[in-house]
Formats: sequence, C-alpha cells, structure tokens
Amino acid sequence: MDKKCAQLWQRLAAALKPQISADSFNRWFSAVELVEATEKSLTLRVPNNIYQFWIESNYITALQNAIVSALGSPRAVKFASPSGTSGQTPLEDLPVLKEISPEPSAGAKTSASVLGLNPRNTFESFVVGPNNEIAHAAALAVAQAPARTYNPLFIYGGVGLGKTHLMQAIGQYVWAKNKNVKVMYLSSELFINEFIDAIQHSNLVKFRKRYRQADLLLIDDIQFLGGKERSQEEFFHTFNTLFDGHKQIVLSCDRPASEIANLEHRLVSRFEWGLTAELQPPDIETRLAILRKKARTMQIKLGDDIFQFLASRIRTNVRRLEGALMRVASFASLSGKELTQEVIEHLLKDILQEEGRHSITIEQIQRRVAEHFDVRIADMTSKRRPASIAFPRQVAMYLARELTKASLNEIGDAFGGRDHGTVLHACKLVKKRMAEQDNIRQTISFIDSSLQR
Amino acid sequence: MKFSVAKEKLLEGLQQVQNVVSTRTTLPILSNVLLQANGNEIHLTTTDLDVGVRGSCEADVEKEGATTLPARRLFNIVRELPSSEIQIDVDGKNAASIRSGQSFFKILGLPEEEFPPLPKFEEAKVVTIRQKDLRDGLRKTSYAISTDETRYVLNGVLFSFKNNKLTLVATDGRRLAMLEIELEFPRSHEADIIVPTKAITELQRLLTDDGDVKVSMGNGQIAFDLNKTFLVSKLIEGNYPNYRQVIPSEAKERVKLERETFLNALRRVSLLASDKSNSIKLNFSKNNIDITANTPEVGEAKESLAVQYKGRDFSIAFNPEFLMAPLRALTEDEVFLDLIDEMSPGVLKIQTPFLYVLMPMRISS
Repeated sequence: MDKKCAQLWQRLAAALKPQISADSFNRWFSAVELVEATEKSLTLRVPNNIYQFWIESNYITALQNAIVSALGSPRAVKFASPSGTSGQTPLEDLPVLKEISPEPSAGAKTSASVLGLNPRNTFESFVVGPNNEIAHAAALAVAQAPARTYNPLFIYGGVGLGKTHLMQAIGQYVWAKNKNVKVMYLSSELFINEFIDAIQHSNLVKFRKRYRQADLLLIDDIQFLGGKERSQEEFFHTFNTLFDGHKQIVLSCDRPASEIANLEHRLVSRFEWGLTAELQPPDIETRLAILRKKARTMQIKLGDDIFQFLASRIRTNVRRLEGALMRVASFASLSGKELTQEVIEHLLKDILQEEGRHSITIEQIQRRVAEHFDVRIADMTSKRRPASIAFPRQVAMYLARELTKASLNEIGDAFGGRDHGTVLHACKLVKKRMAEQDNIRQTISFIDSSLQR
Repeated sequence: MKFSVAKEKLLEGLQQVQNVVSTRTTLPILSNVLLQANGNEIHLTTTDLDVGVRGSCEADVEKEGATTLPARRLFNIVRELPSSEIQIDVDGKNAASIRSGQSFFKILGLPEEEFPPLPKFEEAKVVTIRQKDLRDGLRKTSYAISTDETRYVLNGVLFSFKNNKLTLVATDGRRLAMLEIELEFPRSHEADIIVPTKAITELQRLLTDDGDVKVSMGNGQIAFDLNKTFLVSKLIEGNYPNYRQVIPSEAKERVKLERETFLNALRRVSLLASDKSNSIKLNFSKNNIDITANTPEVGEAKESLAVQYKGRDFSIAFNPEFLMAPLRALTEDEVFLDLIDEMSPGVLKIQTPFLYVLMPMRISS
C-alpha cells in the first residue's frame, strides 16, 4: 500500500466504521488493503475470496456511502487477491481472459468455435487506438457485467474496422467466465434465413424458444434487416423478451441505426436505447500497432520501414492491412529476396491502387451524384437550373467541399466556372435541408459512404 | 434384447434416473437412457456428462443385451400404459417394440456403444456414510447454495473430510449453513471437495433412511454408491472460500425458540413484507419477541412470541425467506438464535453440530 492509498484508506475506514458494527469491521475490513485508486475505481486487496463474496453481498452499500462521503463521488469497487497466495479461485483473476481450448474430455462443453466464434477474436488481440477506444471500453464493460451497464450495445463502423472482432470478444469473454451462459452469435442474415425456414416448416415456436433463451445475443450486420418486415417484427419481439429478461444484446451495423433504410422506427429507437459506439478508421499510430501485433502473433520479422510503409499507404481497412502484411511476409519467406520498397509496391499493386482511389476527385463525386439522381453528368457543369438539376448539383458541391481538399474557387470552376459564393450557398443549403429532412440526410450519407468505399 | 417387467418397477427405475437427462443437449445420445438386461435385472443409466445416475429394476430377462432409448419418451409411454405387465423387445437396429395389453409402441433408439461410459473409480479414496446422516445433512444445508453463476465455487455443497468429521457447507454470501457428521476414515482420505448443485439434488432424491452410502473420490470426480443406485458427478474445480471467517465468535444474547411456533409466526407476518424491502423485524424485549412487517401503502403485521429473554431491548431485521428456510429444513423441536447486535449476523443453532449464519438487513428508521 503506498502512502497515498494508505491515507485514503484511513479516511474511508473512518467513514465506514460508524455504519457497521465494530465486530464486522474488524472481521471484514481490518485485513483489506487499498492498492489502487483512480478517478473511476478503487481496487481493494483482500486476503481470499470469502472477503470479496461477503463484502459484495453485505457491505457494498456501506462502502459506497463511505466512498461518497470521503471522496465526494462514487467509484467502482474492484477486488484483487494477493499474488501468489493459495486459496484463491480463478474467479478473482477475472480481467484476464482465460485461454479457450476445447476440453479434450468433454463433449458436453461446447468449445468457442462451436458457438461460431473465432478463438482469435479476443480482447487481447484487439488493438485499441483513439479511433475505437469508446467502442472497446463499452464492449469490455458489457463483457464484464452483461446486461448491467449498456443494453443494448450498438457498434457501428465501416468494413474491416473490428465490429465482428469486438462482438466475438464479448462472446468469448463471457463464455470463458461462465460456461453455463447461453451465448448466441449470428449474423442478421442467418436470423432471417432461420426465420423463413421456421415459417416454411411452421415451427415458429421452436425458433422463438431458441432465441429467447439466450443470455447473451450477439447479432452481426443488423443492417440486413432493413426492408424485411416480418423478420423485423419477429426480431422486435425477441429483442423485447430478452431486454425485459435482463439479457444482454449486442448489435453491429455498418451505419448508424437511424440510417438503416426501411427499418421500423420502433426498432431504430430500441437500437439507440442503450449505448451506441462508433468505430472509425485507425490513425497511423494505431495502424502501426496493429501491424506489429499481428506480425508478433504470426511470428513474422519485418523491418520498421516496411511497417511504416504499409501503415502509411493502407488507411481505411484493417482487414486489408493485415492481408497486405500476410502477402509481404509470405513473399519474403517464400522467395527469400530482400524486401525493398519497389518490391513491395509491385507486390501490393492492386491493393495500393484500390487505396489510391480513395483520394476522391470532384469528377468522381459528380459522376456518382449524377448517377444517383439520374441526371446527365453534363448537367453538373451546365448553366441550366431547374430544381431537378440544381439540387443534385448543390449536393455534389457540398460533397466536394466535404470530401476533397479543393478550395471553394476550385470547386466552382469544376462545376462550370461558378462563383465561390455559389458553392458556399450550396453547402449551406444542403446542410440546412439535411438537418430538416431525414430522407435527404440518408441519401447524402449513402452517397458519401458509397464514394468512400 | 428381450424382457418383461412390471410397469411400476420400470416406472420407479426410470424416475430415479430421468431427471439427469437434459432437455436441451447438443448430443442426441445424452437424451437417451442406457438399458442393460443382465440376469434378472435391467440396469438403467443416464448422464449429461457432468452427472450420471444408474438405477436398476427387476425383470424377467429372456434375452440379454443392451440398447439406448429416448428417456423422456420411454418414461411417458410407460407411465401411460394400461396394463401392469410390459414386454420390451429390441431388435438389432435398436428399435424397441413395447407391448402391454392391447397397446403397441415402436420407438427407435441408438446403439449402446455411443453411450458415454460412467467414469471408473479404481484407485479412489472410499468413505462410508450412513445414508440417513447424509440425507439429513444435505437437507439441512443445501437450501443455502448460491445460484449466482458468477460465483461458481459456491454453486454446490462443500464436503470437507477432516479430523474424523465430514463438514457440509453451503453459502450464497448472505447466509451460510454448516453441519458436521462424525465419521471414521484414515488420515490419507482427508479432502475438501465441492459437489455441484445438480448432483446434490439428484443425490437427495436417491438417498433413503436405511443402509450406507459408499463415497469414492478421485480425479476430479465423486461417486455415491447407494447399493441399488449409483451416482457419479464431476466436482467443481476451485477452492471453497474460508467459511469459518463468517461465523461470529461469540454471542451476546441467546433465545430458545420453539421451531414450529416461530416458523408459523414468521410465515404469517411475512405476508405483509413487501417484495421491495422484503424484511421483517424482530423486536426483543423482556421475555418477548415482537415480529413485525410493514409495507408503506399496504399495511402491517405484528405477532408476539413469549420467550425466555433477559437481555437488552433491541431490534434486528432479516429477510424472512432466509430465516424460514432453515426452520423448514430442520426437524428439531427447539432451536437457538444467537445475536450480538442489530448490525451483526444472527446464528441459528440446534443441539447437534449445525449452525446457520444469517446477515441482518439494514433497519431504515
């Protein structure tokens, strides 16, 4: 116990003593040490697990009261057992995810892979960066206390940013902690297919039972529910049953819930009920960390400059980043050639090209917008201004402003030599209409995301 | 395999084993019961790979053999059969023809070889206990088992073999039940093991008042041989918490209570304990306890018990369900309630080595 903790503990103990009997205090708190104090939590070291059980069951209110009166605000209380002491159970080293390996003796215990979870997708193997901090913290909180903190948890983000990884990590964490918890992981597509199957063979009851008995339901790619009305209704009831039964639900999607096309409002509002966490493309430091971690687990040795090169050139997609690493590594081990920048560039030609395309040009925007609104691309630069043409043009200008680094003047020029004021007006107008009308916002974000893909 | 058997005998045999069969299982064979016809007996075995039970029933065996049949289905059929005599004939493809009176059933089974064998206990430590003692001991402790699955070491009863005593312990973090049975066994057999809830439930069903039970321990497993029936179970891995820490060292006040009178009074008063605050108060004064419950906007209840009490006046609140559970399980006429003060745990005792520690609830003034 360092000095600061010791002092803090004295203050806590003083606040605690009047609340419980002297005998209880001596019995349960005299041997407790405060080992770590942060803004959010306090970690108490207890001699063995009976202390934790008994304090959690009987004295947690008193302890919280003491914390509030001594520190001014509540803290989460964690327990740690002394290192190297026998008499502790695995229960106490909880934050460490136990290795999941199918037990050789038991057919009764399903292994993680049987649940449909990839054993590699754990919290340990997830690289946390500023882009996914919140989502990671939320997922961990959910895994540690299912249905207590954020329910439902809604994770969204683009392709290959780790939605599935986080979901599966939750599943495995919960399952490793307690094999009796019924974890269900599936994609919404599978849910729909099974639902259709159940209708066909008229065993809806069995279908319902199967899903409504889950303790932890993880549904991946929920956006596919869009437009499937009866599946939505079925899912709605499943959701309610689980939610009311205090079972944890975790959903992932490639866009925010409100932007899923043709999704009923009652579902949208339910999805937004708990916590919504976004996954963004990783920054360069995180990308480097991902590459290093991946290389370590695959036992690949590559030079720093190669990591740097890959991380700086492949920006948007973690899966692609790992693919490129694999390709470089296997090339190195198969050919034995020295890896120079040229060799790698040649090797990853297609990937780099694909990435390169992501520097979006104004022409691309014009083409995509014209295509979407079904107007001629020439209309983008023409002087004609009926509403059917003017609005798409304004949208294209707005997107050009958002997605490229071009100045107002440059954008104006690209749209048939228009004034910079015209562009500014267009941006303002589109923003205003996006704020006012949901369908416009959806349309634009759809074009936006299709451009970025 | 072919045999005929009395309906009641077979039904009784199936009843002993069928609870183990899990309703939702990934392996179809685990919903089946293994039937083995030998000599003049049918052995019936079921398992869910954690717990396995074997029973038997008398039968006229015409042709020896073995097969497995869906347990629930077989049980339902046998229960409904009209006549008291049943003939079962199983062909080489594990299809069983069941005849009784005018009824005929054919149900399909699975080959015997697929059925997972119950573990063997060859080099196990064996201790013999009187069935009556173990039954009594489990009855008086098992209600305190924790159902909180995150504390899995508490999801069972601790069997602690030490100093020629078997100590049974169950706790859920708010209460603790402990009972000791005098027993003789060699020093080398001393052990602390945790038997999971499911095995305890099934074992309580099988234990009778007569005879002994042979307990074999080894290799993370335990077997209870009850002469006619046999139960094996995996043990819960991990160390049971140091339960002695929970037991208060000395009591300030002790009251002697008539168990049934006390229980009945509690039961009546608890009718007015609300789900939310679920507590009842015991108010001690000279030679009297007032048991009260009070739920705002519902009403209140009060019952007075005359007791021998000379200590100071004070009040203590308990969860009524937790206080009634041991009183229901005990059989003794008299119980003792030991208390220190309103914030310290109460201890329920009887003349024999048993105690029940119960944490009080906060009294909101």
